[in-house]
Amino acid sequence: MTALLRYQTAILLRSHRWIFPLIGYALLIAVGAAGSTSLAETLDWSGAMLVPVVAFLTRAMLTAEPDAARACVAAAAGPVRAQFATLIVPLGVGAVLGLAAAVFDVLTAEAAANTPASGLQGKLTAALDHPGIVLGGLLIALVCLCVGSAAGALCNPPLLRHPAAAMLSTLAAIILALAAGVSPANAAISHNTAQAANPLAANWPGTGALVGAACLLAVTWGVSVLAATRRDNWSVSSG
Amino acid sequence: MRLEAVGKRYGLRQPWVVHGVSADLPPGRLIRVSGRNGSGKSTLLRVVAGVSLPSAGKVTGRPRTGYVPERFPGGLPFSGREYLLHLARVHGLRGQEGPQRVEQWLERLGAAGYGDQSLRSMSKGMSQKMAIAQALLSSPGLLVLDEAGTGLDQAARAELDAAVTERAASGGTVLFVDHDPARLAGQEDERWNFDGAGHVAVLAGPAPQAGPRAERITIRLETANAADVIGRVRAIDGARVISVDVEGTEPP
Repeated sequence: MTALLRYQTAILLRSHRWIFPLIGYALLIAVGAAGSTSLAETLDWSGAMLVPVVAFLTRAMLTAEPDAARACVAAAAGPVRAQFATLIVPLGVGAVLGLAAAVFDVLTAEAAANTPASGLQGKLTAALDHPGIVLGGLLIALVCLCVGSAAGALCNPPLLRHPAAAMLSTLAAIILALAAGVSPANAAISHNTAQAANPLAANWPGTGALVGAACLLAVTWGVSVLAATRRDNWSVSSG
Repeated sequence: MRLEAVGKRYGLRQPWVVHGVSADLPPGRLIRVSGRNGSGKSTLLRVVAGVSLPSAGKVTGRPRTGYVPERFPGGLPFSGREYLLHLARVHGLRGQEGPQRVEQWLERLGAAGYGDQSLRSMSKGMSQKMAIAQALLSSPGLLVLDEAGTGLDQAARAELDAAVTERAASGGTVLFVDHDPARLAGQEDERWNFDGAGHVAVLAGPAPQAGPRAERITIRLETANAADVIGRVRAIDGARVISVDVEGTEPP
């Protein structure tokens, strides 16, 4: 499995398919940092924006390998493991981006609008004084990672092979994931009632959102792996 | 290794591309798969190689597998050598063994000077050499070649044929498709012929091998439990079920 993960990571990094999601995420984080009033809110936003980033990283990975090259790897390592590696790598890259964003947020965001901290030192101390805010933010990021990966896996090859249909449904899935009430990502980021009363209150994603995201990930990955073991030709339109 | 009533179709309403193929693939056997374009050869090869799972039946006892596709478009962002080093690890080669085998095979196929060229800029023949090298790196117990010789120069073709016979001689099972009947002519132990409807007839090889060769007998019988009968025939010492064709399985 390590060899497969190394191979897939190398494909992603060397193909420069990570550039667009990375720049997009950096811009979104900058916008969020400028528009938020508290650390909890900033972390919320950084987590939520992982949904589009991971969905598109997953799409990039699922469309990177030509059919023939994937067949060689599937013969060597089995199609199930090959497909899992293809799905794990963008999730891992998303996790790294999410962590980097959280560090950036902690170092730059005010803990709350009414408690301005001076300099990096002060902001770090403020964050350490309220570990719940950071932990809650990371859990929200985890939910969004899973939901983004699920959207990417569901709307791209081998399940959806037509490029235009795949691209549009990936976009639609991202919007639904962030806006629709049934989505675990939406549930995770809309627990803001505590914030209104106390800006220093932590935002927690809720058990339902965590369990929902895990189930969504398991189901979509399962379906994607199942399709990968049955379909040989990913590059044609499904017709 | 054994195929048991293996069938493949790409969707529930799609026709069977491969239907009811049963065969034993013992070590050391060199098998040519023939048939017209679109008759299902490539699909069967992918199922045998484990690239995709059969829609019906099962494949059991598959050893470590190397697969060479009929076209290898170099869409990957690697040089030939980098690609082979990655694939050596994926094939389970550890430590210095991987890099050593990579150099060995690049040399053998006459591609040593092109190893640092990117896959994207390689000629058809050169990228085909990369596909062949990755399959042979790990000396796989099962080698599946789908028109692997396409686009190769004479020297590389000869080297490929030599590598294939070596593999079979050292106990590997080899399954290959090649539209040139002269390739490995007389060397194959068996020929599988596709009839165009997904069925495969297994024909004995053209040249008798050293050692006793069993006769091929076709038995036609009516039974409510074909699997049981096949199982019992298999249990007989020295008997080998080559192909089973089931007709009219539904009772009246």
